[in-house]
Amino acid sequence: MNVSIVPALKVLRPAAMLVIVVLVGLVLGYWANATFVPGDSPEQPIAFSHKIHAGDNEIPCLYCHTQARRSPSAGVPAVSKCVGCHLEVATEKPQIRLLMGYWENREPIPWIKVHDVPDFVHFTHKRHVLANIECQTCHGPVETMDRIRVTSRAVDGSAQAGQPWKMGLCLSCHRENEVENGTDCWTCHK
Amino acid sequence: MSLFSRFLDGWRKYRKPGYYEKFDYHWTMTVDLDKCTGCEACMMACQAENNIPVVGEDEVARGRELQWIRVERYWEGEYPNARLRFMPMMCQHCDAAPCETVCPVSATYHNQDGLNTQIYNRCIGTRSCAVYCPYEVRYFNYYDHGWDSPLEQQLNPDVTVRGKGVMEKCTFCIQRIRQAKDLAKDDDRRRVQDGEMQPACVQTCPTKALVFGDRNDPESQVSLSMDDPRSYRVLDELNTDSSVFYLKKVDA
Repeated sequence: MNVSIVPALKVLRPAAMLVIVVLVGLVLGYWANATFVPGDSPEQPIAFSHKIHAGDNEIPCLYCHTQARRSPSAGVPAVSKCVGCHLEVATEKPQIRLLMGYWENREPIPWIKVHDVPDFVHFTHKRHVLANIECQTCHGPVETMDRIRVTSRAVDGSAQAGQPWKMGLCLSCHRENEVENGTDCWTCHK
Repeated sequence: MSLFSRFLDGWRKYRKPGYYEKFDYHWTMTVDLDKCTGCEACMMACQAENNIPVVGEDEVARGRELQWIRVERYWEGEYPNARLRFMPMMCQHCDAAPCETVCPVSATYHNQDGLNTQIYNRCIGTRSCAVYCPYEVRYFNYYDHGWDSPLEQQLNPDVTVRGKGVMEKCTFCIQRIRQAKDLAKDDDRRRVQDGEMQPACVQTCPTKALVFGDRNDPESQVSLSMDDPRSYRVLDELNTDSSVFYLKKVDA
Protein backbone atom coordinates (compact mmCIF):
# COMPACT_ATOMS: atom_id res chain seq x y z
CA MET A 1 0.00 0.00 0.00
CA ASN A 2 1.27 3.39 -0.94
CA VAL A 3 1.03 6.09 1.65
CA SER A 4 1.88 9.63 0.65
CA ILE A 5 2.39 12.57 2.94
CA VAL A 6 1.58 15.03 0.14
CA PRO A 7 -2.12 15.40 1.02
CA ALA A 8 -1.14 16.06 4.62
CA LEU A 9 1.41 18.67 3.54
CA LYS A 10 -1.25 20.41 1.47
CA VAL A 11 -3.29 20.96 4.58
CA LEU A 12 -0.24 21.93 6.62
CA ARG A 13 1.13 24.49 4.19
CA PRO A 14 -1.29 27.33 5.01
CA ALA A 15 -0.85 26.58 8.70
CA ALA A 16 2.94 26.71 8.35
CA MET A 17 2.69 29.99 6.44
CA LEU A 18 0.51 31.42 9.18
CA VAL A 19 3.03 30.39 11.85
CA ILE A 20 5.88 31.97 9.89
CA VAL A 21 3.95 35.21 9.36
CA VAL A 22 3.07 35.39 13.06
CA LEU A 23 6.70 34.71 14.08
CA VAL A 24 8.02 37.40 11.73
CA GLY A 25 5.39 39.78 13.08
CA LEU A 26 6.41 39.05 16.67
CA VAL A 27 10.10 39.62 15.93
CA LEU A 28 9.35 42.85 14.04
CA GLY A 29 7.04 44.03 16.82
CA TYR A 30 9.62 43.26 19.47
CA TRP A 31 12.27 45.16 17.52
CA ALA A 32 9.97 48.12 16.89
CA ASN A 33 8.90 48.24 20.53
CA ALA A 34 12.48 48.08 21.79
CA THR A 35 13.58 50.76 19.31
CA PHE A 36 10.74 53.27 19.43
CA VAL A 37 9.29 52.66 22.92
CA PRO A 38 12.37 51.97 25.02
CA GLY A 39 11.50 50.75 28.50
CA ASP A 40 14.87 51.81 29.84
CA SER A 41 14.41 55.35 28.53
CA PRO A 42 10.71 56.26 28.57
CA GLU A 43 9.37 59.47 27.09
CA GLN A 44 8.91 61.93 29.95
CA PRO A 45 5.99 64.40 30.25
CA ILE A 46 8.45 67.22 29.61
CA ALA A 47 11.43 66.65 27.34
CA PHE A 48 13.89 67.60 30.06
CA SER A 49 17.48 67.37 28.88
CA HIS A 50 20.24 66.56 31.35
CA LYS A 51 22.68 67.38 28.52
CA ILE A 52 21.61 71.03 28.47
CA HIS A 53 21.47 71.41 32.26
CA ALA A 54 24.25 69.23 33.67
CA GLY A 55 26.37 69.04 30.51
CA ASP A 56 26.36 72.35 28.64
CA ASN A 57 25.55 74.63 31.58
CA GLU A 58 27.41 72.56 34.18
CA ILE A 59 24.77 72.81 36.89
CA PRO A 60 25.87 70.49 39.74
CA CYS A 61 23.67 67.41 40.26
CA LEU A 62 23.07 68.36 43.89
CA TYR A 63 21.66 71.77 42.93
CA CYS A 64 18.41 70.10 41.86
CA HIS A 65 18.68 66.69 43.56
CA THR A 66 19.21 68.34 46.94
CA GLN A 67 17.96 65.41 48.99
CA ALA A 68 20.78 63.14 47.81
CA ARG A 69 23.16 64.39 50.47
CA ARG A 70 20.78 64.03 53.39
CA SER A 71 18.32 61.25 52.65
CA PRO A 72 18.21 57.75 51.22
CA SER A 73 16.39 58.99 48.13
CA ALA A 74 17.96 61.55 45.80
CA GLY A 75 14.57 63.10 45.12
CA VAL A 76 13.12 64.79 42.08
CA PRO A 77 13.07 68.59 42.38
CA ALA A 78 9.75 70.32 42.93
CA VAL A 79 8.25 72.37 40.10
CA SER A 80 9.20 75.49 42.06
CA LYS A 81 12.87 74.56 41.64
CA CYS A 82 12.50 74.55 37.87
CA VAL A 83 10.47 77.75 37.88
CA GLY A 84 13.07 79.44 40.07
CA CYS A 85 15.29 79.69 37.02
CA HIS A 86 12.80 79.45 34.20
CA LEU A 87 10.88 82.58 35.15
CA GLU A 88 13.89 84.28 33.56
CA VAL A 89 15.66 81.66 31.46
CA ALA A 90 14.45 80.42 28.04
CA THR A 91 10.86 81.39 28.75
CA GLU A 92 9.74 81.20 25.13
CA LYS A 93 10.66 77.57 24.43
CA PRO A 94 7.67 75.22 24.03
CA GLN A 95 8.86 72.80 26.73
CA ILE A 96 9.19 75.67 29.20
CA ARG A 97 5.65 76.80 28.38
CA LEU A 98 4.60 73.23 29.19
CA LEU A 99 6.44 73.55 32.51
CA MET A 100 4.73 76.86 33.28
CA GLY A 101 1.40 75.14 32.59
CA TYR A 102 2.10 72.73 35.47
CA TRP A 103 3.23 75.68 37.59
CA GLU A 104 0.08 77.69 36.97
CA ASN A 105 -2.19 74.67 37.56
CA ARG A 106 -0.25 73.91 40.75
CA GLU A 107 0.32 70.34 39.66
CA PRO A 108 3.39 68.17 40.09
CA ILE A 109 5.01 66.90 36.91
CA PRO A 110 4.27 63.17 36.54
CA TRP A 111 7.87 62.13 35.83
CA ILE A 112 8.36 58.46 35.03
CA LYS A 113 10.85 56.78 37.33
CA VAL A 114 13.79 55.38 35.41
CA HIS A 115 16.38 54.42 37.99
CA ASP A 116 14.98 52.02 40.54
CA VAL A 117 16.26 49.28 42.82
CA PRO A 118 14.12 46.35 43.95
CA ASP A 119 12.17 46.67 47.20
CA PHE A 120 14.44 44.26 49.05
CA VAL A 121 17.45 46.52 48.54
CA HIS A 122 18.45 49.17 51.03
CA PHE A 123 20.35 51.91 49.25
CA THR A 124 21.00 55.30 50.72
CA HIS A 125 22.23 58.17 48.57
CA LYS A 126 23.37 60.06 51.65
CA ARG A 127 26.20 57.72 52.61
CA HIS A 128 27.46 57.50 49.05
CA VAL A 129 27.33 61.23 48.35
CA LEU A 130 29.03 62.01 51.67
CA ALA A 131 31.74 59.49 50.73
CA ASN A 132 32.35 61.60 47.58
CA ILE A 133 31.24 58.92 45.15
CA GLU A 134 30.59 60.56 41.77
CA CYS A 135 26.95 60.28 40.69
CA GLN A 136 28.20 59.04 37.31
CA THR A 137 29.76 56.00 38.99
CA CYS A 138 26.36 54.36 39.13
CA HIS A 139 24.19 56.53 36.88
CA GLY A 140 26.49 56.65 33.86
CA PRO A 141 27.26 59.77 31.81
CA VAL A 142 24.00 61.55 32.64
CA GLU A 143 25.42 64.90 31.49
CA THR A 144 25.52 63.61 27.91
CA MET A 145 21.94 62.30 27.84
CA ASP A 146 19.14 64.26 26.23
CA ARG A 147 16.64 61.80 27.63
CA ILE A 148 17.60 59.97 30.80
CA ARG A 149 18.37 56.30 30.28
CA VAL A 150 19.06 53.46 32.69
CA THR A 151 22.79 52.98 32.73
CA SER A 152 24.65 50.70 35.05
CA ARG A 153 28.33 50.12 35.50
CA ALA A 154 30.13 46.97 34.52
CA VAL A 155 32.45 45.42 37.08
CA ASP A 156 35.42 46.74 35.05
CA GLY A 157 34.07 50.29 35.44
CA SER A 158 32.66 50.87 31.95
CA ALA A 159 29.14 52.27 31.54
CA GLN A 160 26.52 49.83 30.30
CA ALA A 161 23.56 51.57 28.73
CA GLY A 162 20.18 49.95 29.07
CA GLN A 163 21.29 47.56 31.83
CA PRO A 164 19.71 47.58 35.26
CA TRP A 165 21.99 47.48 38.28
CA LYS A 166 23.06 44.11 39.57
CA MET A 167 24.33 43.01 42.95
CA GLY A 168 27.83 42.47 41.58
CA LEU A 169 28.17 46.20 40.93
CA CYS A 170 27.58 47.05 44.60
CA LEU A 171 29.80 44.22 45.82
CA SER A 172 32.75 44.94 43.51
CA CYS A 173 32.76 48.62 44.50
CA HIS A 174 32.44 47.79 48.20
CA ARG A 175 35.37 45.39 47.89
CA GLU A 176 37.55 47.82 45.93
CA ASN A 177 37.03 50.58 48.47
CA GLU A 178 37.20 48.19 51.42
CA VAL A 179 33.95 49.48 52.88
CA GLU A 180 33.45 48.61 56.55
CA ASN A 181 31.16 45.54 56.62
CA GLY A 182 30.64 46.22 52.92
CA THR A 183 30.03 42.60 52.02
CA ASP A 184 27.65 41.82 54.87
CA CYS A 185 24.30 40.89 53.31
CA TRP A 186 22.34 43.17 55.63
CA THR A 187 24.37 46.20 54.60
CA CYS A 188 22.37 46.32 51.37
CA HIS A 189 19.49 43.89 51.82
CA LYS A 190 16.51 44.55 54.01
CA MET B 1 42.13 40.43 47.86
CA SER B 2 41.75 37.14 46.07
CA LEU B 3 38.91 34.78 46.69
CA PHE B 4 41.24 32.26 48.29
CA SER B 5 42.80 34.68 50.75
CA ARG B 6 39.32 35.90 51.69
CA PHE B 7 38.37 32.30 52.33
CA LEU B 8 41.50 31.82 54.46
CA ASP B 9 40.73 34.97 56.44
CA GLY B 10 37.19 33.77 57.01
CA TRP B 11 38.45 30.37 58.03
CA ARG B 12 40.90 31.80 60.57
CA LYS B 13 38.25 34.14 61.92
CA TYR B 14 35.29 31.81 62.13
CA ARG B 15 36.83 28.44 62.96
CA LYS B 16 38.31 29.65 66.22
CA PRO B 17 36.21 28.89 69.24
CA GLY B 18 34.93 32.07 70.80
CA TYR B 19 35.29 34.14 67.63
CA TYR B 20 31.93 35.62 68.41
CA GLU B 21 33.30 37.34 71.47
CA LYS B 22 34.90 39.83 69.10
CA PHE B 23 31.84 41.20 67.40
CA ASP B 24 31.79 44.92 66.45
CA TYR B 25 28.65 45.24 68.51
CA HIS B 26 27.09 42.46 70.45
CA TRP B 27 23.40 43.27 70.53
CA THR B 28 21.72 41.70 73.50
CA MET B 29 18.32 41.84 75.12
CA THR B 30 17.27 41.12 78.66
CA VAL B 31 13.70 40.30 79.64
CA ASP B 32 12.73 40.85 83.25
CA LEU B 33 10.04 38.24 83.80
CA ASP B 34 9.26 39.68 87.23
CA LYS B 35 8.27 42.93 85.51
CA CYS B 36 6.41 41.44 82.56
CA THR B 37 2.64 41.75 82.93
CA GLY B 38 1.79 39.82 79.79
CA CYS B 39 0.08 42.79 78.16
CA GLU B 40 1.31 41.75 74.68
CA ALA B 41 2.07 45.33 73.65
CA CYS B 42 5.43 44.08 72.36
CA MET B 43 3.64 41.76 69.96
CA MET B 44 1.58 44.60 68.56
CA ALA B 45 4.56 46.92 68.26
CA CYS B 46 6.51 44.24 66.43
CA GLN B 47 3.63 43.59 64.07
CA ALA B 48 3.38 47.26 63.20
CA GLU B 49 7.12 47.81 62.84
CA ASN B 50 8.01 44.76 60.81
CA ASN B 51 5.12 44.51 58.33
CA ILE B 52 3.84 41.26 59.79
CA PRO B 53 0.52 40.32 58.22
CA VAL B 54 -2.50 39.07 60.15
CA VAL B 55 -3.01 35.46 59.13
CA GLY B 56 -6.48 34.91 60.54
CA GLU B 57 -8.02 32.41 62.92
CA ASP B 58 -7.95 29.38 60.63
CA GLU B 59 -4.25 29.64 59.94
CA VAL B 60 -3.41 30.15 63.61
CA ALA B 61 -5.41 27.03 64.42
CA ARG B 62 -3.19 25.13 61.98
CA GLY B 63 -0.08 26.45 63.71
CA ARG B 64 0.85 28.79 60.90
CA GLU B 65 0.82 32.04 62.83
CA LEU B 66 3.18 34.91 62.08
CA GLN B 67 4.41 36.78 65.14
CA TRP B 68 8.08 37.46 65.67
CA ILE B 69 7.60 37.85 69.41
CA ARG B 70 5.01 35.94 71.34
CA VAL B 71 4.07 35.97 75.01
CA GLU B 72 3.94 32.42 76.25
CA ARG B 73 1.67 31.59 79.16
CA TYR B 74 2.53 29.08 81.86
CA TRP B 75 -0.05 28.06 84.42
CA GLU B 76 1.30 26.93 87.78
CA GLY B 77 -0.68 25.13 90.45
CA GLU B 78 -4.32 24.17 90.57
CA TYR B 79 -7.35 26.40 90.91
CA PRO B 80 -7.93 28.32 93.19
CA ASN B 81 -4.21 28.65 93.87
CA ALA B 82 -3.24 28.89 90.20
CA ARG B 83 -0.59 31.34 89.08
CA LEU B 84 -0.02 32.59 85.59
CA ARG B 85 3.45 33.34 84.33
CA PHE B 86 4.37 35.09 81.13
CA MET B 87 7.41 34.72 79.00
CA PRO B 88 8.02 36.83 75.89
CA MET B 89 9.78 34.61 73.38
CA MET B 90 11.51 35.97 70.31
CA CYS B 91 14.50 34.91 68.22
CA GLN B 92 17.31 34.43 70.73
CA HIS B 93 20.01 35.40 68.21
CA CYS B 94 22.12 32.45 69.34
CA ASP B 95 25.82 32.89 68.78
CA ALA B 96 26.03 29.16 68.09
CA ALA B 97 22.76 29.00 66.22
CA PRO B 98 21.49 25.62 65.05
CA CYS B 99 19.44 27.25 62.28
CA GLU B 100 22.48 28.79 60.58
CA THR B 101 24.30 25.53 60.07
CA VAL B 102 21.37 23.87 58.36
CA CYS B 103 20.34 26.43 55.76
CA PRO B 104 21.28 25.00 52.36
CA VAL B 105 21.54 28.43 50.71
CA SER B 106 23.06 30.42 53.59
CA ALA B 107 20.00 32.64 53.73
CA THR B 108 20.46 32.82 57.47
CA TYR B 109 23.87 33.64 58.85
CA HIS B 110 25.59 35.43 61.70
CA ASN B 111 26.75 38.93 60.97
CA GLN B 112 29.50 41.02 62.52
CA ASP B 113 27.08 42.52 65.06
CA GLY B 114 26.26 39.19 66.64
CA LEU B 115 22.88 39.12 64.96
CA ASN B 116 21.32 36.04 63.52
CA THR B 117 20.05 37.44 60.26
CA GLN B 118 17.72 36.25 57.53
CA ILE B 119 17.98 37.32 53.89
CA TYR B 120 14.45 36.98 52.59
CA ASN B 121 15.14 37.01 48.87
CA ARG B 122 17.79 34.36 49.28
CA CYS B 123 15.50 32.01 51.21
CA ILE B 124 14.09 29.12 49.20
CA GLY B 125 11.72 27.96 51.92
CA THR B 126 13.04 24.55 52.92
CA ARG B 127 11.95 25.30 56.52
CA SER B 128 14.94 23.31 57.84
CA CYS B 129 15.86 26.22 60.08
CA ALA B 130 12.45 26.13 61.74
CA VAL B 131 12.94 22.44 62.44
CA TYR B 132 16.35 23.06 63.98
CA CYS B 133 15.31 26.04 66.08
CA PRO B 134 14.86 24.85 69.68
CA TYR B 135 12.90 28.00 70.56
CA GLU B 136 10.30 27.63 67.76
CA VAL B 137 10.62 31.27 66.82
CA ARG B 138 10.96 31.00 63.07
CA TYR B 139 7.80 31.62 61.12
CA PHE B 140 6.99 30.59 57.59
CA ASN B 141 4.86 32.43 55.04
CA TYR B 142 2.50 29.75 53.81
CA TYR B 143 0.54 32.28 51.78
CA ASP B 144 0.80 35.80 50.45
CA HIS B 145 -1.42 37.34 53.08
CA GLY B 146 -1.44 40.96 52.02
CA TRP B 147 -3.21 43.85 53.63
CA ASP B 148 -6.74 45.13 53.12
CA SER B 149 -6.77 48.62 51.62
CA PRO B 150 -5.88 51.17 52.94
CA LEU B 151 -3.73 49.28 55.48
CA GLU B 152 -0.95 48.72 52.95
CA GLN B 153 -0.31 52.46 53.23
CA GLN B 154 1.05 52.02 56.75
CA LEU B 155 3.74 49.50 55.86
CA ASN B 156 7.25 50.26 57.03
CA PRO B 157 9.32 51.13 53.95
CA ASP B 158 12.54 50.01 55.68
CA VAL B 159 11.35 46.42 55.99
CA THR B 160 10.74 44.06 53.09
CA VAL B 161 7.21 42.77 52.66
CA ARG B 162 7.92 39.06 52.65
CA GLY B 163 6.27 36.92 50.03
CA LYS B 164 4.96 33.38 50.06
CA GLY B 165 7.48 30.62 50.76
CA VAL B 166 9.90 32.67 52.83
CA MET B 167 11.01 32.10 56.39
CA GLU B 168 11.05 35.09 58.69
CA LYS B 169 11.86 35.89 62.29
CA CYS B 170 12.82 38.60 64.75
CA THR B 171 15.72 40.72 63.50
CA PHE B 172 16.22 42.82 66.66
CA CYS B 173 14.81 45.60 64.42
CA ILE B 174 17.94 45.65 62.29
CA GLN B 175 16.54 48.55 60.26
CA ARG B 176 16.68 50.70 63.39
CA ILE B 177 20.21 49.51 64.15
CA ARG B 178 21.20 50.49 60.62
CA GLN B 179 19.61 53.90 61.02
CA ALA B 180 21.36 54.47 64.37
CA LYS B 181 24.70 53.57 62.79
CA ASP B 182 23.95 55.95 59.94
CA LEU B 183 23.28 58.80 62.38
CA ALA B 184 26.41 57.88 64.35
CA LYS B 185 28.45 58.22 61.17
CA ASP B 186 26.95 61.65 60.56
CA ASP B 187 28.25 62.80 63.94
CA ASP B 188 31.73 61.41 63.16
CA ARG B 189 31.21 58.90 65.90
CA ARG B 190 32.34 55.37 65.34
CA ARG B 191 29.96 53.73 67.73
CA VAL B 192 26.28 53.84 68.54
CA GLN B 193 25.72 55.05 72.08
CA ASP B 194 23.74 53.10 74.64
CA GLY B 195 20.03 53.89 74.56
CA GLU B 196 20.27 55.56 71.17
CA MET B 197 18.40 52.77 69.51
CA GLN B 198 15.69 50.42 70.70
CA PRO B 199 13.72 47.71 68.92
CA ALA B 200 9.99 48.31 68.67
CA CYS B 201 9.13 45.85 71.47
CA VAL B 202 11.59 47.45 73.90
CA GLN B 203 10.37 50.91 73.02
CA THR B 204 6.77 50.03 73.69
CA CYS B 205 7.11 47.90 76.84
CA PRO B 206 5.07 49.79 79.48
CA THR B 207 6.83 48.21 82.46
CA LYS B 208 10.34 48.46 80.94
CA ALA B 209 10.73 44.72 81.30
CA LEU B 210 12.76 44.58 78.09
CA VAL B 211 16.21 46.13 77.88
CA PHE B 212 18.27 46.25 74.73
CA GLY B 213 21.83 47.28 74.08
CA ASP B 214 25.40 46.45 73.22
CA ARG B 215 27.01 43.82 75.42
CA ASN B 216 30.49 44.92 74.31
CA ASP B 217 29.98 48.18 76.19
CA PRO B 218 30.49 47.25 79.88
CA GLU B 219 28.65 50.39 81.02
CA SER B 220 25.52 49.82 78.95
CA GLN B 221 22.22 49.20 80.62
CA VAL B 222 21.95 45.73 79.16
CA SER B 223 25.42 44.74 80.42
CA LEU B 224 24.43 45.70 83.94
CA SER B 225 21.10 43.96 83.56
CA MET B 226 22.50 40.67 82.28
CA ASP B 227 24.92 40.46 85.22
CA ASP B 228 21.93 40.40 87.56
CA PRO B 229 21.96 37.28 89.78
CA ARG B 230 18.48 36.39 88.49
CA SER B 231 19.76 36.15 84.94
CA TYR B 232 19.49 32.92 82.96
CA ARG B 233 19.13 31.84 79.36
CA VAL B 234 16.37 29.64 78.02
CA LEU B 235 17.53 26.12 77.06
CA ASP B 236 21.08 27.05 77.97
CA GLU B 237 21.92 23.36 78.26
CA LEU B 238 21.77 23.17 74.44
CA ASN B 239 24.82 25.48 74.27
CA THR B 240 23.15 27.79 71.79
CA ASP B 241 24.86 30.74 73.51
CA SER B 242 21.80 32.91 72.97
CA SER B 243 21.76 36.69 73.16
CA VAL B 244 18.53 37.02 75.11
CA PHE B 245 18.77 36.85 78.87
CA TYR B 246 15.76 36.30 81.11
CA LEU B 247 15.65 37.62 84.66
CA LYS B 248 13.54 35.61 87.04
CA LYS B 249 13.45 35.32 90.78
CA VAL B 250 13.53 31.67 91.78
CA ASP B 251 10.67 30.84 94.14
CA ALA B 252 11.82 29.45 97.43
